Amino acid sequence: MSIKQKISIQTISVSFVVSIMIIILLGILLNFTTQFQPTLGSDLLAINANSTETANAVTSVVTYFRGFDTLGEVTILFLSIFGVSLGLEGFKEKLNIFSYQNTLLKIGVDTLFPIIILFGIYVIVHGHLSPGGGFQGGVIIASGFLLMFLAKGDDFSINHKILELVESLSGAGFILIALLGLLVTDRFLGNFIPIGEVGELFSGGIIPLIYIFVGIKVSAEITALLEYFIRIKDVR
Amino acid sequence: MLDSFNQTPFLHSVITIGSFLILLIGLIGALSKKNLFKVFLSLAIAESSLFIYFIGMHFSVDKVAPIVTDQVTKFSSNMVDPVPQAMILTTIVIGIAVLSLGLSFVISYYKLTGKMRIDEMDELGDNK
Repeated sequence: MSIKQKISIQTISVSFVVSIMIIILLGILLNFTTQFQPTLGSDLLAINANSTETANAVTSVVTYFRGFDTLGEVTILFLSIFGVSLGLEGFKEKLNIFSYQNTLLKIGVDTLFPIIILFGIYVIVHGHLSPGGGFQGGVIIASGFLLMFLAKGDDFSINHKILELVESLSGAGFILIALLGLLVTDRFLGNFIPIGEVGELFSGGIIPLIYIFVGIKVSAEITALLEYFIRIKDVR
Repeated sequence: MLDSFNQTPFLHSVITIGSFLILLIGLIGALSKKNLFKVFLSLAIAESSLFIYFIGMHFSVDKVAPIVTDQVTKFSSNMVDPVPQAMILTTIVIGIAVLSLGLSFVISYYKLTGKMRIDEMDELGDNK
């Protein structure tokens, strides 16, 4: 009886302390007013207005001003897929456990798959003109492959050798463009292609090229990840 | 009457309280659930509150997205800060990478031991 009383008193006191801390934290957060003084962002917008000729400022921040960070980010994604493949690829023959035996889905996916791939390519190529870019378009292409995995079942499989080749070639293309910038303009990821006018497809110098490489790499990686996770049952 | 809701400080407080609630949901799920899958997915939910808070606190009623279109023809200080959006893009990708690696560890653990719940783990010694 006394132990039960002790536990309940402890619970009450802990919840009291936690609620006081939540109230204090919310008070601090709600009083936190963001005074929009001249920040890094407005400086970057002013630089972006006359240096890169990119319509989308977020794209120029991701691939140009913080391009080295994007290289590290893509490397982290590659290392994660590498770890997943080490853990899950123990046996060669795997069974797709998420396929639906649905005739409507099987027929409709033949029409939908090219449209999804085309939309993904559009989002990747227009990453410097409109919302979107390499990461978003890559995930859209991978979702098209996910639809194929769900509809076709074991009839549809992707050669992992080809996926690894595409992934490593696009990663090498990223680094190659960065090194060409180092050779031509004395700066890693420097812009060595003439920049066009704002709003045209061929504008922004190396920014669309880098985003296209990132898009190919991300789509190959997420497709490999989906294939690893969707075929986890061993064939016995 | 509706104009009083369309003010930047009010929307900022709504975003703060909402993202805080999402963070609480994720933390409570991560601490109280016993299934390993649910623990990792709760951590992903808690992570998404960070995205909402970062993007939302740089939202402002009288500013537009940092994209040049037909209506907005040049970059000016009338645009929101593009740096938090780029950083959150990085964070989302890293979150996906960490979540997929953790889930693959869960699957490997289940294949090796046949156990999925936290309170049944006893590989490092006796439970009691």
